[in-house]
Amino acid sequence: MTTVTIQEARARVTVGSFSQMPDAAAATTPSGEAAEAALGFLTEMSPDLRGAAILGPDSEVLAGTGEEPERWAEDAAALFEVADGAEEVPVEQIHIATEQGEVFAVRNAGLAAVAVTDRFALASLMLFDMRSTLRQLATPNFGPPEGTKSRKGDG
Amino acid sequence: MPPKPHRVLLERVSVYADEAAAFMRRRRVARRPFARLYYPHGRSADHAQDSRSGAELFVAAGRLIEVSGKKPKG
Repeated sequence: MTTVTIQEARARVTVGSFSQMPDAAAATTPSGEAAEAALGFLTEMSPDLRGAAILGPDSEVLAGTGEEPERWAEDAAALFEVADGAEEVPVEQIHIATEQGEVFAVRNAGLAAVAVTDRFALASLMLFDMRSTLRQLATPNFGPPEGTKSRKGDG
Repeated sequence: MPPKPHRVLLERVSVYADEAAAFMRRRRVARRPFARLYYPHGRSADHAQDSRSGAELFVAAGRLIEVSGKKPKG
C-alpha cells in the first residue's frame, strides 16, 4: 500500500537525519522521565513557548507537548533533512521566523530539541536554553540546567 | 548650578533605553520572515523565502507550527 511505503520511507529518512548529528558519539539516551523533566523545565523558563519536543538519537520522541507528541518526530526529521540538504555540513541550530510563529531546532550531544514559540521570541535565549537543556540531559546525573531561571514576568 | 552626577548618569541611561525601545519597535514592524541555519564554529547562513531551500524550510517549519497548536489563553 502507498501509505505503508510512505511510512517506511519516512522511517528511513528519520534515522538518517538524526545520525548526522554533529556530536552523535556523545549520545546516551536519557529516560523518558528525564526528558519530561527537561521539557517541563524548558517550558517553565520560556514564556513564549507554544510547544516543544525532545528527540533521541534514533529520532524517537522522548518527550513532547500536545495531544500527539509522536508527530514531532517526523516533522522534526523533515526539517533537519531539508536543513542538512542546504549545504554539505549538518546544521547545529535552526531558527525560522514566520508570520505564524517561530521555530527553533537544536542538535546537541546526540539529542535534538524542537520548539515553536510566538513571534519575536528572544532567539539567543531560546537557543541557549534549548542547548543547555540538551547538554544537561545528556549527562548521566541529569538535573535542571545551572545558571538558568525563569524569564516569566520579565515583561 | 550643574546637575548632580547621578542625575546625569540616570538621564544617559534613560536616553539609551528609549533608543533601544524605539529600535525594537521599528524592528517588530519591519521584520520579515526569515530562515537561518547555524553551523559548527558559529557560522550561519540565511535562506531567502523565495529560494528553493528557503521555501522547503518554511514548509517544514509550518508543519511544526501546526503540530505545536495554538497557545492556550491565560
